[in-house]
Amino acid sequence: MNFLITRPEHDDTTHYLSNWAKKVIGCAEIHGFNVIDLNREMAVQKEFESRITKNNPCLVMLNGHGDDNLVTGHQNKPLLIGGTNDKLMKSRIVYALSCRSAKELGVKAVSSGAKSYTGYDDDFIFSYTPSMISRPLNDDKAMLFFEPSNLFIDSLIKGNTVQEAKSKSEQLFRKNITKALGSQNGANLAKNLWWDLRHFVSYGDLTSSI
Amino acid sequence: MSGTEKEIKELVIARLETMPSDEKVSIGSAGEFNKEELISEVKKGSSIGKKIIEVEMEFLRAMKEGIIA
Repeated sequence: MNFLITRPEHDDTTHYLSNWAKKVIGCAEIHGFNVIDLNREMAVQKEFESRITKNNPCLVMLNGHGDDNLVTGHQNKPLLIGGTNDKLMKSRIVYALSCRSAKELGVKAVSSGAKSYTGYDDDFIFSYTPSMISRPLNDDKAMLFFEPSNLFIDSLIKGNTVQEAKSKSEQLFRKNITKALGSQNGANLAKNLWWDLRHFVSYGDLTSSI
Repeated sequence: MSGTEKEIKELVIARLETMPSDEKVSIGSAGEFNKEELISEVKKGSSIGKKIIEVEMEFLRAMKEGIIA
């Protein structure tokens, strides 16, 4: 089975998204998936469309900046746009770790035949430690945000339905909110985790699985 | 600005003051902000400042309603 992932990496935000996505790639490979990894300059619309058509992935994860109707790739150039190339998501399970794209693009992708589209209907906000930028996977603050996000894809890879994967992610978000509230100055982390949890949405057939 | 809005702004700023100086927040395409920058955006009343207030108030409401234990 093929799993396509986009990982632009041109600013602090995409640097964190891209590095944490490596864990998801590791999980997919362990479970026998063929991973099509569009990292940095490869995360552009032409390459994305070509690989989707050629490799026909059942699972797509988009990491990057976004807006109500699009997700971007390298240097914030549009990658997937509602009403333009969202038909490419037909018959696929899609997860966008991106701001706001679930609001319009997610709905359009499902209307165009995507099995499901999961993402955020407002900004995805995360806290991090700037001094850990060279070792983002060791950043305990960022971990609180990216572990629940990664758990969604990991659960799908292990055969869970979209609804089951979403529930597991939500439970971990909640657990991390409690953990943050128990730590010194953790309320600032907890409020951002709560925001992400509140705006984490899935559309389409939530009983679908890979 | 109404009295309530001013009080909310002051509350959000007071809570942001507790944020560690070695912490930043990524707010989507708007970029990454440290404590001083977040406070500055709230004071200015920019779109990011309004978002920061919304995030804080949603959290406080959830705490008050017992949704977050």
